[in-house]
Amino acid sequence: MTGRATFGDFLHAAHRGLAGGASSPPPARGDVEEVSRSLLRVVTIMGRYIQDITTAFSDMPDRTSLPLGAWDRASVQAREALTNSAGFLIPRGAGRPAWPAAPSASPLARRLDEIARSLTTGRDLLHTHFTPGPQGGRAHRSPWALAITSARVNRALLAEIGLLADRIAHHGANVALTPIGGTPTNVGRRRRLNAACQWLWVLHASAEAAHRAEPVPATDRHLLAAIPVNTLPTRPLLADAGTIAGLCDAVIATTERARYLAWQSTGQPPGSPDLTVTSMRQIAETSMVTSHNCAIVARTLAASTASRAIPGTSTHLAATAQAAQLASGTWHQIARALRQVTTDTRGHVSPAAAEAHDLAMWTGRLAYTDPTWTPASGPHHPTRPPHDLADRPQDLPQVVAAVHHACETLTLLTGTEHDQLRAAAQARRILVPTRTLPGDYDIPRPYGPAPPQRTSPLLGHYRAASQASRQATTAIGRAAQATGAPSRALTTARAATQATPSASPDTDLHDPTAEGSQQQPRDTPGPLQHTLLGLGITSPALLARGADLDQASQRLLIDAAGQLPPTHKRPPATTLNRTAASAALLNHALASGDPRATQLLRQPGQAERKEAEPEPEPEPEL
Amino acid sequence: MKRLTAAGDRFHQARDLASVLDAACDAFEEILSVIGGFEDASDVVDVPLLLAATQAANGRDAVLFAPCLPPRRLHQPQQAGEEPQRGSAQDIPAAVAKLSMLLGARLAHTAGTMAAGADRAACQDAARYARAIHDLLTGAGAGAGAGP
Repeated sequence: MTGRATFGDFLHAAHRGLAGGASSPPPARGDVEEVSRSLLRVVTIMGRYIQDITTAFSDMPDRTSLPLGAWDRASVQAREALTNSAGFLIPRGAGRPAWPAAPSASPLARRLDEIARSLTTGRDLLHTHFTPGPQGGRAHRSPWALAITSARVNRALLAEIGLLADRIAHHGANVALTPIGGTPTNVGRRRRLNAACQWLWVLHASAEAAHRAEPVPATDRHLLAAIPVNTLPTRPLLADAGTIAGLCDAVIATTERARYLAWQSTGQPPGSPDLTVTSMRQIAETSMVTSHNCAIVARTLAASTASRAIPGTSTHLAATAQAAQLASGTWHQIARALRQVTTDTRGHVSPAAAEAHDLAMWTGRLAYTDPTWTPASGPHHPTRPPHDLADRPQDLPQVVAAVHHACETLTLLTGTEHDQLRAAAQARRILVPTRTLPGDYDIPRPYGPAPPQRTSPLLGHYRAASQASRQATTAIGRAAQATGAPSRALTTARAATQATPSASPDTDLHDPTAEGSQQQPRDTPGPLQHTLLGLGITSPALLARGADLDQASQRLLIDAAGQLPPTHKRPPATTLNRTAASAALLNHALASGDPRATQLLRQPGQAERKEAEPEPEPEPEL
Repeated sequence: MKRLTAAGDRFHQARDLASVLDAACDAFEEILSVIGGFEDASDVVDVPLLLAATQAANGRDAVLFAPCLPPRRLHQPQQAGEEPQRGSAQDIPAAVAKLSMLLGARLAHTAGTMAAGADRAACQDAARYARAIHDLLTGAGAGAGAGP
C-alpha cells in the first residue's frame, strides 16, 4: 500500500527472533552473564509496554465503578512478574542496569538484543500517535490513537507479550540449567537467570488465564499489527497509477494523507487563519464527487460479484453504493450551504482540502475509463465495465479496500469539518454577506457575523453527512470482511474505539495461519524426556513414557500448588531452584501456562515484590 | 436567464470603483442564485455547475471584503413575487460562462488601473475566480489540475 512501517513489522520480527528457521536454528546456548544482561533489556522494554497498557486501562471511563476484569488482573500480574524478573537480572550492587558497551557474542544474547530493539522500535512507533498532553497525560495525534488506547488492542498487546515471554523463558531457562563444559560456572547467576525466566512464565500464565476468560479475537491481533507509524505517506505519482492496482494504491495513499492532515488540522486554534471557507468549500464539493465515485465503483463491483454468484458480497456492495450516493447528496447540501457564508480569512486552501481534491480525482479515475479524468470533467463519461475493474477474483479485495479507505476518510472529514466549523462559529469567524440577509438586519457593513439561523442548518448538514458516510463505511466494511480485503483493520479499529470488547471472537489468538505470533507446539521436552534425549535414547516408546511421566509430575506440582502449607511453614520459593532437578521440575510446571502453578513462586499475604529481593548466596548444587 | 443578462448589463455600465464592485458582487450572487435554482429543480447533480457555484461564492467573497464596496446595495434586488426564470442544463452554463467572462475581463482591467492595495487585490482575486467559472463551464479547465 503506502509502504509505511506498521507495528506488526516489529512484533513479527521479535517473534521471529527466537523461532529459528532453516538457515538459523533457534539459539540454544549462551553465556549466562550476557544472556542475563540481554534478557534484562527485553524485560525492561516489556515493562514499559505494560506501563502503557496499565495507563490505557486506567484512562478508560468509569473504571472505578467496574470490577477488575480478567485482563486488568493480567496487566497487574504482568507488571509484578516483570518487576520480579528484573530483580533477579539486575547485577548485585548495581544501582541501575549495567549495559555492556560491547555487543553480545552469545547467540541467544544476540537474539534477545534484536528482540529488545524490535520491541523498542515498535513502542516508539505506537508513541508517534501521541504527544504530551496537559497534566502529564497523552494527547492524541492521529485517529489511530483511540484504537491504541482501546481495551481490545491492549488485550491483544498483552497477549502477544505473554507469548513472547513464554518463548524467551524457555530459551533462557535452557541456558540457565545447561552448564557448558569447560566454561566457568557461576551458580548464583544461573539460579537468578532461571528465576527471572520463571517469572516470565508467570506473566505468560496470567495472559493465558485472561485469554481463556476473555479470548482475544484474531481480528484484534490483526488490528494491533496493522497500526502504522504516524507520518505523512508519500504523495502518489501519476506514473504509478496506470493500472487498477496502481489506482487503488493511489486512492489509499491519498486517504491516509487526508486523514493525517485532517487530524492535524483539528489541533488548530479556532482563530487560526488557515481555517478558511475556501478550504471548507473545496472539501465539501470534492467529497461530494468522491462519494459519487465510490457509489459508481461499488455499483460496478456489485454487478460483477452478482454475476459471479457471490451474493453476500454483492448485497454489501449494493448497500455501499446506495449509502455512498446518499452521502454524496448530503455533501452537496453542505456545499450549497457554504455558499451562503464566508470566513474572515479566505483564499488559503488547506493541505487536507488539497488531498480531498486528489481523492476525488483518483476515485474518479477508478470509476471512469478516462485516464485523464478530473472533478471538472463531470460525470458524463463512460464508467469502467465490471471486467475492467476487477477482472480476476483476486482483484476484488484491493478495489474494495480502496473504496473502504475512501469512505472511512469521508467519515473522518465530516467530523473534523463539523468541529472546526462549530469552533469558528463560536469564535464569530463565520460571516454572511449582509445583502443576503432579510431587511430587518440593519448592519452598515457588507458582511456580519452569521446568525444561528445560518450556522445551525449547516452544522446539521455535516451531521447528516457524517451519518450517511458512516453507513457507507459500515456497508463497505462488511464487503471488505466478506472479500478478505486488507482494509478490514479499519472496521476493527472503529469497533474497538466505539465499544466494549467483542463478545464473539471469530478466531482464537493462537490462529495457526497468523505470522510469527502463533503458539509453538508444546514439544519442549520435560525434565525426564530431556534426560532421556541426553542419554541418546531414540526409542519412541521410551520417550513417550518419559513424556507421560513429565506430564504427570507437572500435574502433581500444579495440584500441590493448590495445597501449599501456611506461609510460616513454607520455605522460600527460591529454595525450589536450589538443585537443577527441582528447578527443571518447577520450570516444567510453570511453562504449562496453568495459573495455579504460579503459586509455587508466590508467598500468600506477602508483598510479591519482596520475592525479587536478593536471594541467599548461591549453593553448589545447581 | 434575464437576471444574468441584467446583472451583466449593470456591471457593464458601472463606471466608478464602488459601482463596479457593487455590480460584481451582485453578478456573482445572481450566478449563485441561478445555479441554486437549477439545483432545486433538478434531481441530477451537474458537477461542473456545482464547482462553478463554489467559484462564484469565492468571487463574491473576494469582492465582499474590498474596502470600496458600498456597505449597502446600490440597486434593489429583484422585486418580491417576481418569479425567477429557470434555465435548462444547456442554457445555464452558456449564460453563466458569458457573464463570468465579462466579470473576469472587466475586473482584471479595473485592477490594472489601480494602485496596489486591498481593492486591487480583491479585483484580481475576483477576476481569477470568474475566469475559473468560465473555464469550468466551457471545458477549458477540464484538464487543469489534472493531478500530481
